Amino acid sequence: MDAQTLPNNPHRKFSPGRIWALATSTLTQLVRMKVFYFLLIFIALLFVAGFLFISLSFEQELKLLKDIAFGAMSLFSIIFAIVGTAILIPRDVEDRTLYTILSKPVPRLEYLIGKLFGVLLLVAISLIAMDLIFSAILYLRQNVILTEQIALLESEGNATPENIADVTNLVNAQGVNWDLQAAVFSIFLKAAVLASFSMLLSTFATSTMFTIVVGFAIFFIGHGQSLARDYFLGGIEVEAIQKLITVTLVVLFPDLQLFNLVDGVVSGESVPVSLLLKITGIATLYLVIYNLAAYLVFSEKEL
Amino acid sequence: MTEDSTPAVSIDNITKVFPLPLRKGKGLLAVDKVSIQMTPGEIYGLIGPNGSGKSTTMKILLGLVTPTEGHSRIFGKDSRKVESKHEVGFLPENPYFYKHLTGAETLHFYGKLCGLKRKQIRERTEELLDLVELQNARDRRLGGYSKGMLQRIGLAQALIHRPKLLVLDEPTAGVDPVGSRQIRDLILRLSEKGITVFLCSHLLEQVQEICHRVGIIFRGKLVREGTLAELISVEDQTEIILRDASPELLEKIQTLVDSENTETVRVGKPRTTLERLFLDHAASDRQNKE
Repeated sequence: MDAQTLPNNPHRKFSPGRIWALATSTLTQLVRMKVFYFLLIFIALLFVAGFLFISLSFEQELKLLKDIAFGAMSLFSIIFAIVGTAILIPRDVEDRTLYTILSKPVPRLEYLIGKLFGVLLLVAISLIAMDLIFSAILYLRQNVILTEQIALLESEGNATPENIADVTNLVNAQGVNWDLQAAVFSIFLKAAVLASFSMLLSTFATSTMFTIVVGFAIFFIGHGQSLARDYFLGGIEVEAIQKLITVTLVVLFPDLQLFNLVDGVVSGESVPVSLLLKITGIATLYLVIYNLAAYLVFSEKEL
Repeated sequence: MTEDSTPAVSIDNITKVFPLPLRKGKGLLAVDKVSIQMTPGEIYGLIGPNGSGKSTTMKILLGLVTPTEGHSRIFGKDSRKVESKHEVGFLPENPYFYKHLTGAETLHFYGKLCGLKRKQIRERTEELLDLVELQNARDRRLGGYSKGMLQRIGLAQALIHRPKLLVLDEPTAGVDPVGSRQIRDLILRLSEKGITVFLCSHLLEQVQEICHRVGIIFRGKLVREGTLAELISVEDQTEIILRDASPELLEKIQTLVDSENTETVRVGKPRTTLERLFLDHAASDRQNKE
């Protein structure tokens, strides 16, 4: 029996089970690096923003709280996406762990998808944790402010049902709502695009530092490229060659400004479902393109 | 070809040239027209100095490196195809597995990669932890394992899906003599169970002790190949080892030899190896403690 393959396990060309095994192992690896300590920094930041700037008007105060929360969510998710992805493949090659994985019946494409999926799981869990903390603090602050505002109206003798309804609407408009969750989702999509780009870089980069530096450079270029495109190509008749340049630019440097829903949401704008679907589609397209490109490089890589 | 006559490993005329950056048309010849066949259940040792092409040959067999010319098969299946990996287990030189996983988690991870079912993984994990004597360290993270323990858990992960071929690159590198002996005994036991073992090492004594056939590789070329008897026997000499022979008997034998016009090359007591001496002391020390 020892010299026989185990029964009832036919080879599958594509196996979600193998991808899940790689993804969960990647997640465990990153979690056991104690990355979740960042949540303490996040909580501290929100407490400072939520409870120390109480001399501002309530609109300003809640807006500041949202600005700081979304800024921190963007920062942490992008660091996890770029750095997390950049260290994974080079470390597996260096430690020869990759040899033991690819000498098992694991196609190289599954390895890449599994690693990327593991990083995305980490980003998603971090964002959900931050979102829960943020929503709880915002809700708490929102109720405190509402109580204070109603008390103020009562002390001024203006506590009519209309005035109370007006102030309640005003405070709630700046409080917890579904648009905030849409903004968090847009941060996740941006991080996913950057993670898949870093994955592509790490398949041919010679050092982790290179991947991290270029990854962050792409982050900044990605936010400015739509402006540059408008400046150089805007206002003139778009010809085939210019279209080609635009498409090449958009593929090489992902247009991250597309995923920026945060500014609008913080100002109180609502996010239509069609916009969410559109950016989800664009992010998926970027993920597919970068993963395929990463696979093309990685499938030919001599280990 | 029937199942029985299919070679476990068939490496046919493999050449590998690694391209050199900035030197178009030139490359580093790592493996030069190497052909090796292994029969099922055999222990084959590939020996050679560092940089001779041993590991590249292994990597080609495992589909980690693509040969410039030639092809290799594992039990008749093209070794570049992912399906062939169901038949093979690999332990690389100085393996560092995921340090964040425990011994049991490591085996679970590799079992999942091999497509084993949960129950099969559980059973195999227990069997293999017993086999490599790591039950006590099953819940310890690999970051705290010694080199010998890492090699043994590496061997266990290579065996998780019951492969018919085991490829071992320097399996005892950096392991102390006791650990090294345990790994060698394990290889012999696996061979007895019908598993083919392809072993790369530059520890010649170890290869000599366990391998049925040996190939010698130099600068990418397979320069000699054969059974141990073929390779290391000195054909014009004969050895007789006697226990408790009296001086009189030895004198009679010497007289007989002289009368037959035969040259005596050496007479003396056979020596044990330093390793054997060390292992005997370690064993008696353990017995005394018990």
